[in-house]
Amino acid sequence: MDLTPRQKTRIYVTSMYALAAVIALVVAFAADWERIGRNFFNTEIMADMFPDVILIGVRNTIIYTALSFGIGLIFALVLALMRLSTVVPFRAFAIGYIELFRGLPALITLIFIGFGIPLAFSWSIPGGTLGAGSMGLAIVAGAYMAETIRAGIEAVPKGQSEAARSLGMSKTRTMFTIILPQAFRIIIPPLTNELVLLIKDTSLFFVLGSTVDSKELTKFSRDFMNLTKNATPLTVAAILYLLITLPLTFLVRRLEKSAAKAR
Amino acid sequence: MTDSTHPLAYEGPAIAVRELHKRFDELEVLKGIDFHVDPGEVVCVIGPSGSGKSTLLRCINRLEESQAGQILIEGEDITHPDADVDKLRTRIGMVFQQFNLFPHLTVLRNLTIGPVGVLKQDKAAANAYAKEMLGRVGLADKVEAYPSHLSGGQQQRVAIARALCMQPDMMLFDEPTSALDPELIGEVLDVMRTLADEGMTMMIVTHEISFAHEVADRVVFMDGGVVVEEGPPSDVLDNPQTDRAKQFLRQLHEH
Repeated sequence: MDLTPRQKTRIYVTSMYALAAVIALVVAFAADWERIGRNFFNTEIMADMFPDVILIGVRNTIIYTALSFGIGLIFALVLALMRLSTVVPFRAFAIGYIELFRGLPALITLIFIGFGIPLAFSWSIPGGTLGAGSMGLAIVAGAYMAETIRAGIEAVPKGQSEAARSLGMSKTRTMFTIILPQAFRIIIPPLTNELVLLIKDTSLFFVLGSTVDSKELTKFSRDFMNLTKNATPLTVAAILYLLITLPLTFLVRRLEKSAAKAR
Repeated sequence: MTDSTHPLAYEGPAIAVRELHKRFDELEVLKGIDFHVDPGEVVCVIGPSGSGKSTLLRCINRLEESQAGQILIEGEDITHPDADVDKLRTRIGMVFQQFNLFPHLTVLRNLTIGPVGVLKQDKAAANAYAKEMLGRVGLADKVEAYPSHLSGGQQQRVAIARALCMQPDMMLFDEPTSALDPELIGEVLDVMRTLADEGMTMMIVTHEISFAHEVADRVVFMDGGVVVEEGPPSDVLDNPQTDRAKQFLRQLHEH
């Protein structure tokens, strides 16, 4: 049988559509829709969750994220500048820090901060779950973002610092008024990505324990699930996470596009 | 405009380079350069690429570090470890091949960031002076523009205005027209010609031989990291003595 390449393509595409249709039909008829609806999309349970899922869960998730991101960004900036320093011990420390905390699971770091430090020194980071958790995530995020900031700094053309220095600006003034503003413009997309990762990582705060008022979205929903013996709270949590993260990832894509255009 | 605001009346060359050596790892780029620019003098440095002329210029405001020899700016040895490089650079205007305007700042901020941030000038005064300088380079209407909206020739004129805003004693030009489209070269050379006429001390690394002929008080021909020939343009450009200079100029004319 002799087929032209075009005919071959057409047959291939048609059969793939047919396969997809068969799978969809099988799922539609075989699935127990009544049970799925009752366990994942139970409107009564959904109604019960509001408004606390927003006032406690979403609110705490946002607070934890903002705090971790803010502190992490400061750590990252200091680490990036140390990483690029001509002072060897600074550079060595930054490299060690970055490799250590990028290599460990965030969960381990959180447990170290939340339980290791209090055990060892009989002192804990003030602020309870909020303090210890945010500090833990900030330490991890700082390691990741430090490399991003370093890449941004290195992406600014060398002529920029030469022009600034030739006007008599000091190294520090050059870094803060000329290099960093341009570097941050370059790295807004990857930093926003890091923010999205952090939003999801706040779900790790559960290991630090929580009071009724300090639960973030995942912990709140899990407890609600245990209470109701129903998976609907997880569905609600998933939708709420997406409501937060999707606009951000959409924003990243737009920023990346406009950045690509600017070049 | 800057009728030379020398703080102390220094008698002698504005720039004096003695026995300067510079190497990048194994490669020796400057092999004992003796060079000077007198106050108010315009010196054009020409030579094939790789001859070390840009490196010499960049050593003079220490964007490159030299290994041996002396560089005296108005009598002060700037290669000395205790020399205040930042302060030195405020007295030397620098214009780059790639313009190097700050893309995140408006034209006005590009011009005032040095005077306000480094020289601690009053902001209103700095703004007024910056606008005056923009007018001088013919870009008074571009005050609020961003560099990316300007043509290459306009960007380079802004870069010259930026250097002028520091009210420097002398200016260094590192191939200021080499990155420009041919039709934009003239406007930049015009600005430089005016500066030269007004008595600015200038060192210009350039490939624009006819401009050098017209504007330079002295032409220095470099090749292989040494000064091969120097003198008035009519000598060096019209009647070169060395084979290397002859060959270089012949090649340029063939283009």
